[in-house]
Amino acid sequence: MSSKIANPVMRSAAWRISLWATLAFAIGTMLVFAMLHRFVANDIQRRSDAWLTGEVAVLGDVAGRTPKDRLYGRVVSEVAELASREVPDRVRANSNEDDSVFFLQAGDDGIPKLWVGAGDGMTNLAAIRSHQFISDGPYDLDVKGFNDPFRVASVRLDDGSRIYLGLSERDELRVLKNLRFRFLWLWLLIVLFGSAIVFFVTKRMLGHVREITETASRIGESDLSSRVPTGKRNDEVGHLALTLNHMLDRIESSVHQLHTITGSLAHDLRSPLTAIRGKLEIVLSSDLKVEQSEPIVSVIDELDQLTEFLNTSLDVAEAKADALRLSRTDVDLDKLVRAMIDLYEPSMSAKGLRVNLRSAGPVTVLADAALLHRVVANLLDNELHHLPASCTISITLKANEAAALLVVEDNGPGFASEILHHIFKQRVKGRDSKRHGLGLAFVEAVVRAHGGSITASNRPAGGALLEIVWPIGAGQFAEVTHFLTVANG
Amino acid sequence: MRLLLVEDELEIQDFLKQPLADAGYDVDAANDGRSATQLASGKKYDVLIVDLGLPDQDGIDLILQLRRSGISSPVLILSARRSVDDRVKGLEQGGDDYLTKPFALAELLARLRNLLRRKCAASEEATRLRVLDLDLDFINRRASRGGEPLNLSPQEFVLLAYLCQNAGRVITRSMLLSEVWGMRFQPNTNIVDVHIYRLRGKVDTEGREPLIRTLRGIGYVLKDR
Repeated sequence: MSSKIANPVMRSAAWRISLWATLAFAIGTMLVFAMLHRFVANDIQRRSDAWLTGEVAVLGDVAGRTPKDRLYGRVVSEVAELASREVPDRVRANSNEDDSVFFLQAGDDGIPKLWVGAGDGMTNLAAIRSHQFISDGPYDLDVKGFNDPFRVASVRLDDGSRIYLGLSERDELRVLKNLRFRFLWLWLLIVLFGSAIVFFVTKRMLGHVREITETASRIGESDLSSRVPTGKRNDEVGHLALTLNHMLDRIESSVHQLHTITGSLAHDLRSPLTAIRGKLEIVLSSDLKVEQSEPIVSVIDELDQLTEFLNTSLDVAEAKADALRLSRTDVDLDKLVRAMIDLYEPSMSAKGLRVNLRSAGPVTVLADAALLHRVVANLLDNELHHLPASCTISITLKANEAAALLVVEDNGPGFASEILHHIFKQRVKGRDSKRHGLGLAFVEAVVRAHGGSITASNRPAGGALLEIVWPIGAGQFAEVTHFLTVANG
Repeated sequence: MRLLLVEDELEIQDFLKQPLADAGYDVDAANDGRSATQLASGKKYDVLIVDLGLPDQDGIDLILQLRRSGISSPVLILSARRSVDDRVKGLEQGGDDYLTKPFALAELLARLRNLLRRKCAASEEATRLRVLDLDLDFINRRASRGGEPLNLSPQEFVLLAYLCQNAGRVITRSMLLSEVWGMRFQPNTNIVDVHIYRLRGKVDTEGREPLIRTLRGIGYVLKDR
């Protein structure tokens, strides 16, 4: 595992591509060579077989015609000697004795009548005799005392004896061995060289891709104006860079348009809302009967809800786009939660709910106070709306050096399982909820904008459980993520 | 009381003028920064209402410009922006106040009153306050009605005190939230109403004349006569 991490080259695409390319190339060339080798070996054998068959026929002819007198041995030996000089591709042996060719005439009784070649020919004869399938065509023969096999052709004479002409395969094998040796070196060189070239070319190519990736990853939500380097290339990588830049152009203009739209939407809606609300208030302050004022009151309520919805939607959208403006100050979370419980306590007890707080004392966090107020208010609002009577809400606040942990839990019915997994998404709300479903989305957006995290779950004993980890100070994100285990342990 | 209203939205200008006049202000209106500067240099205004989104100038720059030219009257800032930026908060610490749109008319009037009161009588700290038969003792933080002590929690005392200090004037929920609890947000629920309901249960007991009146859709008012 550590070696994999230590060697990033081994994990790069360039490495894999060159590895596979090399493998394919090596196997391919090897196959081509095997075919060539086979062809050459066959050709050499065919040529020596042709020579053997021709010579043995000539020798048989000579032996048949020469009278069996004292000179017979000398004539045939002479012819055999001459023939052996015509061996194709032969290299003369270092010793005077020529051991690459032998000539043997033997009768049916197994006694050699005539022998031309190295040694006394007894081993050769024994080898020929032990060869089971004697035919007239050339065949391979291993002879004791010789490293290389002989290629032997024979012809039957009229007197019943046979003439054998053997040609050592030494030269043939040497040629093939030479061929193989040279090929292997060349093959190794080509493969190494080729894979090096493939590796460096792909590495260079993918290097451009990596450059693009690195630049693209730097282009975050806040910085949409940067572009990936395009260079002068006109290949696929160059096109990739150009396409990415075009895409970024479009995204940038969309985001800009979105900002403009939300900005002007907010402004254009707020001014008329103010005017409408004000006019209704003026009507309401004049003496009206209850049945006349009631619709106006409900319209004002609805206007306020609309405004709140508009504000929260825009806040959530901005926070999700990391564009929420935070004016951070030191806020005592303990004091804030106490004040908030104080504020909500009458409403809670009117609904038959109990709230208790466990806190070890002041916990100072760096946060936008107004947003933090709304976060806690949203959490309590949520409990107030969804808990049935006679439930208890427990709020726990603790802290270590890196983060504050705020736990809000209750013994109510808990989150419905179908919404638990996307509880922090906008417009997600319980089946019976008449609210706009932005409360927890807003909480999550603000917590994340401050670098904290929030999790929602159901307690094993029943009831909802919300845990918020809020960083203390800045730049301690790494430790914050470990907070839960530390705090719970 | 002379008031300069700097607001480019004519609709808002129109509906504000009458209630402001009814509340006793002598209102001049300006549509942009340039005419506001002209008006302010000609007359002395006791209080200014300035919208931040003016066509020719940023509202905050206008306020800073007026301050530099020696105009020190308090300013109520109107903003259509959701998040109140730091520059506005800076001005708020200098004695000015802000409201985000849409706002309640009652709140606008109350904040104007606050601005003017801060200016004239900030030092005058009352130790006792009487409104009709209600008696508040700020030193011991006790309240009584018709001589009978009221059993109020500290929070309820602060709430009643705020209502008494603004007796006869309309108080909105968000004003109560910001002045009594120090929170500036619009809660989704009627949490303030429940507080008032509780307080009323202690102050306006059976057989007594109800003092805390609810103005539906607007807020509350404590009777002072």
